[in-house]
Amino acid sequence: MSSRARQLWHSGEPFIWLTGGALAFALVLVLGLLGLIVANGLGFFWPSDVVRLTLTDGRTVSGLLVEREAIPEGAGRNRVKLKVANRDLYGADFQWVDEAVIARRDHPRDVVVMERTEWGLLIGTIKEVRDGGRIVASGAEQGLAELERRLPGVALARREIKRIEKGEVGAINHAQEKIRLGLRRLSLRGVTSGPAVDSLQREMAVLQAQYTAEEARLVDLRGRQTASVVVAADGGREKDLPLLQVLRVDSPNAMSLAAKSVRYLARVLEFVWSDPRESNTEGGVFPAIFGTVMMVLIMSVMVAPLGVLAAFYLREYARQGTFVSAVRIAVNNLAGVPSIVFGVFGVGFFIYFVGGTIDRLFFSESLPSPTFGTGGILWASLTLALLTVPVVIVATEEGLAAIPRGMREASLALGATKLETTLRVVLPAVMPSILTGLILAMARAAGEVAPLMITGVVKLAPALPVDGFWPFVHLDRKFMHLGFHIYDVGFQSPNVDAARPMVFVTTLLLLAIVVLLNLFAIGLRNRLRRKYAMSAV
Amino acid sequence: MKSVCAVALAVTIVLGGSLALASGLVKLDPALQPYKQTSGVSGSINSIGSDSLNNVMTLWAETFTKFYPNAKIQIEGKGSSTAPPALIAGTAQLGPMSRAMKGTEIDQFEKKYGYKPTQIRTSVDALGVFVNKDNPIKCLTLAQVDAIFSKSRRQGYKEDITTWGQLGLTGEWASKPISLYGRNSASGTYGFFKEHTLKNGDYKDSVKEQPGSASVVQGVTVDRFAVGYSGIGYSTAGVRPVPLAEKDGDKCYEADQDNAYAGIYPLSRFLYVYVNRAPSKGLDPLTREFIKLVLSREGQEVVIKDGYFPIPASIAKEELGKIQ
Repeated sequence: MSSRARQLWHSGEPFIWLTGGALAFALVLVLGLLGLIVANGLGFFWPSDVVRLTLTDGRTVSGLLVEREAIPEGAGRNRVKLKVANRDLYGADFQWVDEAVIARRDHPRDVVVMERTEWGLLIGTIKEVRDGGRIVASGAEQGLAELERRLPGVALARREIKRIEKGEVGAINHAQEKIRLGLRRLSLRGVTSGPAVDSLQREMAVLQAQYTAEEARLVDLRGRQTASVVVAADGGREKDLPLLQVLRVDSPNAMSLAAKSVRYLARVLEFVWSDPRESNTEGGVFPAIFGTVMMVLIMSVMVAPLGVLAAFYLREYARQGTFVSAVRIAVNNLAGVPSIVFGVFGVGFFIYFVGGTIDRLFFSESLPSPTFGTGGILWASLTLALLTVPVVIVATEEGLAAIPRGMREASLALGATKLETTLRVVLPAVMPSILTGLILAMARAAGEVAPLMITGVVKLAPALPVDGFWPFVHLDRKFMHLGFHIYDVGFQSPNVDAARPMVFVTTLLLLAIVVLLNLFAIGLRNRLRRKYAMSAV
Repeated sequence: MKSVCAVALAVTIVLGGSLALASGLVKLDPALQPYKQTSGVSGSINSIGSDSLNNVMTLWAETFTKFYPNAKIQIEGKGSSTAPPALIAGTAQLGPMSRAMKGTEIDQFEKKYGYKPTQIRTSVDALGVFVNKDNPIKCLTLAQVDAIFSKSRRQGYKEDITTWGQLGLTGEWASKPISLYGRNSASGTYGFFKEHTLKNGDYKDSVKEQPGSASVVQGVTVDRFAVGYSGIGYSTAGVRPVPLAEKDGDKCYEADQDNAYAGIYPLSRFLYVYVNRAPSKGLDPLTREFIKLVLSREGQEVVIKDGYFPIPASIAKEELGKIQ
C-alpha cells in the first residue's frame, strides 16, 4: 500500500492535480466575483416590465419587480419588493408587498417609465400633454405619440442650454476669475486705483455685460419650453412634469425584445458618456472615468523613469554588498506599507509642504484659497507613483538580472562605453520587464482609493482637469475617481437601495478600464519582445 | 442644545401657524419664499465638512449652478470635524456640520478672526434608531437605547441590554443577541448620538463602525437582529426607524416631520452650515447668495429630496437676518 502511494507520488500525478487544483480554485474565485458583479450590475439598464399588483383591499401598486424572499416566521409565505419609483409622490422608491394580499397581477400596456432629471424614475400612465396651459394631446396613446414627437426638440434645447452654460458662460467666468486675481495681485502690491485697476475693471464690466446677455439667452431658451406632461400614478396621484425635465420615455410592457435591446445599449452608452446627476446617484460617470484614466497615466509617466533609474543604479552601477542588499530589502518592504500611510505622506509632503510653498511663491494673490496647497490630480498621481515605485524597481531589477553577462561583455568588447552599452543594449533588452512592472503598477493604482481620498478626489468635481482654457491641463484641480465613486455611492448615498446597482456597474467599468490599460501595455510589451528577439539573434 | 432646539422649534410652530400634517410625505412650508436671482454672482467657493450633509450640499450646488452657471462650488465631505479647521484656515467658505460647533472650536475661530463663526440652520433631521423591517419592537426609551449601545449606561438603565428578549420581544427574537451598527468617530452623527443618547458615555466595543450612514442602513437591512443609528434621510424599505420616548413612561414618538418640529422626538436636531462672516464686511456675494438659496423654497425642496426635513419659513427668515 505504502509502496503504491510512493509510486503514485513519484509518478508526479498528484502534484499535477495539486497545481491544477490551485489554479482552478483561483479561477473559481475570480469568476465567482466577476459573475456576482455582472449579475448585479448589468441588469440595471434593462427596461424590465412594469407589473401592476391589485391588492385584496382594492389598492393598486405598480412597479418593477426587484426581489422576492420568504417571510421569516411567515409559514412559507413570500413577499416581493417593488421599485415603485415616484419618489416625489410616495416618499420612497421601494415597497415590500406580502404575496398573500395580492389579488391580481397584470402588465398594462399603456404604463410608461420616464427617466427625468430630478427625483429618479416616474412610473404611471400619461394623462395628457399640455403646452402653455393648453391641452395638445390626451389619453395614453396620443400622449405618448405627442411626447415622442416633441422629445427630440426638447433634448436639442437641453443640449443648447448646457452648451451655453459650459461653453460661453464658462469662458466668461474664466476671464472674470483672471481679472479678479489680477486686481488682487495689484492690491497686494498696494495699487488700489490708477489706470491699471481701471482698465481691469472696465474689462470686468464688459464681461459682465456679456454674461447678462448670455443669461438672457438662457432665460429665453428655457421660457420657450412651455410643454409639460401630466402622468397619473397609483392612488390617484398626478404629476405635472415639464418636458424639459424628461430625458426618456419607455413603455416597457409594449416593447419588443429588439426594442428593449436597443434601449439597453443606449442606456449603457449614456452611462459611460454623460455627467452624473442628483448627487451622483443617477446619470453617468464620465468625469470619474476621465479622472481615473488621467490619474493612472500621469502616475505612469512619473513612476516609470523614477523606478527604472533607481533599478539601473542598484543593478548596474552599485557595488553589490550588504548595503545594496539592505536597500533592496527596504524597497521590497516598501511595497507592503499600507496605502493610507502613503496618503498621509502625500498630504504632509506634497500638499502642505510643496504645494503650500508653490502657492506662497506663485499664487499668493488667490490665498487664503489654496491653488496647489490642497488636494489635486497632480498630488494624487505623485502619491500613487510613490506607492507603486517598488513594483517597477523590483520588476526592472529582475529583468536586468536575467540579461546574460555575455551580451554586456560583447558590447564592451566591441568598444562601446559602459553608458552606450546600458542605453543601446541593456535598456532595450529590459524593456519588457519594465512594462511588466508598469502593468502591475497601473493595476494597483487604478484600484487604490484610500490615499486618494485625502489627496484630491472629490465626490463631484465642477470641471474636468483638461479643458479649453490655457494651459489646457489643470493639474491643480480636484478630480473624480471610479473607486471613490463606488465608495461614495455605496456607503453615502441616501437612497442606497436605488443606488446599489450603480455600485456594481461602476465596479465593472473600473475593471474594464484596468483590463484595457493592461491590454495596451501587454501589446506594447509583446511588440518590444519580438523586436528584441530579432536583434538578439 | 436639544432643549434649545426644541424650544426654538416649538416657538416656530406657534409663530408659523398650522403646518400641513405630514403622513409619510414631507411637506414644505408654503410661506417659504422662492429664490430671487441677482446679478454679478460669479467665482468659486469651497465647502468642507459633514458627510451626512454631503449629498444635500451637492444637490444645493447643482441647484445653485442652475441659477448661476458661472459659479463653481467644490465640495468635500469627510466629517463634521473637518469643517472648523477649514473655515479657520480659510480654505473653505462653507462649513456644513451635522452638529453644533463645540466651544473649543468656536474659541479657535475667534482667536484667529476676533469674531464668532455664523451658524446657519439649514434643515431638520431626526436621528433614527433603525431596526430591520421584520423587527416587531414597538418603542424604545432613550435609557434603553443607551443600555444597548453604551458600556457606561449614563442614562441609568438597570442592566446591560444584549438580547432582544431584554426589550420584551418573544419567540425566536427573545434569545437573539443584538448586533450593533454605528458610525466612525469623525462623523457628526456619531458625536450627536454620543452626546444626546449616551450622555457622553462610551460606545460598546462591539459596535460595528461604518464609513457612511448608508452602510449602517445596509447592515441593518441584511442583519435581521441588528440595530443602528443614522440620519432619517437614509431610511430605506429594508429598515424601520423605531419610535422613541424620552423617559420611561413617556409617550413614544415616531421619527417624523411634525414630531421633529415640535421637538418631542428625542433625537431631533438641526443641520448647520457655518460661514465666516466678518461683522464689518459682511459675506462675499457668492457665499451670501448660496446661503440665501439654501434658505429659499428651492433650497428646501432639495432638503426633502435628500430625505431630511425642511425648516419652517420663520426659521428661514431668522437665519436670513444673520447674513444681511
